[in-house]
Amino acid sequence: MSSLTARVIKLSVLRALALYTALIAMAWCALFPILWALSGSLKNQAEITEPVLIPPHPQWANYAEVFQLMPFWRMFLNTVLYAGCVTAGQVFFCSLAGYAFARLRFRGRDVLFLAYLATLMVPLTVTVIPQFILMRTFGWTDTPWSMIVPGLFGSAFGTYLMRQFFRTLPKELEEAAILDGCSPWQVYWRVLLPHTRPAVMVLAVLTWMTVWNDFLWPLLMIQRNSISPLTLGLVHLQGQYASKWPVLMAASMLILLPLVIIYAVAQRAFIRGIALSGFGGR
Amino acid sequence: MTVTERAPAPTSDRSVLARRQAAAGRTFVAPNLFAVAVFMVFPLGFSLYMAFQKWDLFTPAKFVGWANFHQLLTGDPLFAIALRNTVVLTVGTTVPTVVISLIVAAVLNRKLKGIGVFRTILFLPLAVSSVVMAMVWRFVFDTSNGLFNIMLGWIGIGPVPWLVDPKWAMFSVCLVSIWKSVPFATAILLAAMQGIPDDLYEAAKMDGAGEVRRFFAITVPLIRSALSFVVVISIINSFQAFDQVYVLTGAHGGPATSTYVFGIMLIQNAFDFTDIGYASALAWVMFAILLVITFLQLRFSRRNSLEQ
Repeated sequence: MSSLTARVIKLSVLRALALYTALIAMAWCALFPILWALSGSLKNQAEITEPVLIPPHPQWANYAEVFQLMPFWRMFLNTVLYAGCVTAGQVFFCSLAGYAFARLRFRGRDVLFLAYLATLMVPLTVTVIPQFILMRTFGWTDTPWSMIVPGLFGSAFGTYLMRQFFRTLPKELEEAAILDGCSPWQVYWRVLLPHTRPAVMVLAVLTWMTVWNDFLWPLLMIQRNSISPLTLGLVHLQGQYASKWPVLMAASMLILLPLVIIYAVAQRAFIRGIALSGFGGR
Repeated sequence: MTVTERAPAPTSDRSVLARRQAAAGRTFVAPNLFAVAVFMVFPLGFSLYMAFQKWDLFTPAKFVGWANFHQLLTGDPLFAIALRNTVVLTVGTTVPTVVISLIVAAVLNRKLKGIGVFRTILFLPLAVSSVVMAMVWRFVFDTSNGLFNIMLGWIGIGPVPWLVDPKWAMFSVCLVSIWKSVPFATAILLAAMQGIPDDLYEAAKMDGAGEVRRFFAITVPLIRSALSFVVVISIINSFQAFDQVYVLTGAHGGPATSTYVFGIMLIQNAFDFTDIGYASALAWVMFAILLVITFLQLRFSRRNSLEQ
């Protein structure tokens, strides 16, 4: 009996060991490119070829050089402005429309919502050229408008997300308010919106990340450095200084850092948003 | 609410309320509808219209019928190259992504001490933008300074020209795409696995089913719809890949045409050659292929689940 117990314990220890080994190997695969880049950002040009993960003399000057070679803070502020405006707009207009689709009855509502769902199928590939032509017609190419306005008034995906969430809220929440004579706006703004925080977080984090990381749209729209977002700035930096690996990696780390912070703070909303974004196409 | 609507004779109060709600509903949807109409629906129609035109953005557009499609499918050698490369990238990303993410999700689904830390680490690549990711991987791939070649050097294998040699470039692009899409697929599969009730496993354990058997007999069938979703999304994303190719191997899908995929071809035709009609036709061919794949995949997975 005791030898059997010992064998069972030994077996489970072995299994746990195998699982942790697998987990560490997986974690290493996920992390090593980023760690290697971080390490590279602190090496000097000569140390780049050395297989050391922790540089003996961290070269913080590489980060200072980023600020000299590209207008980093300018681009940082541009990106914050674009991501901030689009995120605020998406959260407001998508939750407003989501509330209407979930709770307010008006003619054609359900047909319209189906049409919304259908547009989720349309790939970026088909819409990107006409969107470019639209911006050109408005005279918005190479202006901040092209980065803000297309996303400002909401999207089918965000509306879908918010509508699904509004439908999970109990109707009792608003019934009392309606009997008290609250207008639909008051019901939305004062009664229901405070309860939608989880969904709002998901939409906000996802939108912020999409704008922050977007590359194709700014590549087509923006020429001037002064209104360029960070991703575009990084690619231009690489075009000019392709062999300056330490500086390129330092710039990459600086662009990555804000998102890693958001990830650390709002991991749950972040992962849920990513999982849902499959529907969004991007 | 349903009770009030079924009331036999609505008082005027109720109908005022209903009218007020309907007006509010239309107003609340209006700005959003405007955006979707202008930036999604109009582009969709306009793109289809452009696919039958010859237009260079500057001179007036000219109707050319099916000529763009004809040229694309029969007269453009680059189309065949892009199709082949795109299929290689799509299969080379989707298949490994599904296999790897199934394994990773199964391991992450264990109730182990510290599993939360591992989840946080494994999902971290989700936060990395495709541009930064491609930049970081360029550094890993670099022929003379990169980590991979340094490590290969230790075991006596000469430097591999990861991004420089046409034979290796697509392999490298696939590797990066897999690295990026595994955490996404894992997140979806893990969520589906967490929805499986524990007693199913307990019952199977009682019946003497081993761990591997339980995985294939319980886990995989029960997450089939999530799995099918992952496959479709992975196909859709890699089929339209642009950012990572652009940054890893350049705007023209080099070296030679080894990474010349549809995404690159589309942007090149539209914005380098300003052949808007031709690019729009390509966009619709891509859309059509994606629709067929999605449709087949959905039918296939539905029939499978019916057979169960």
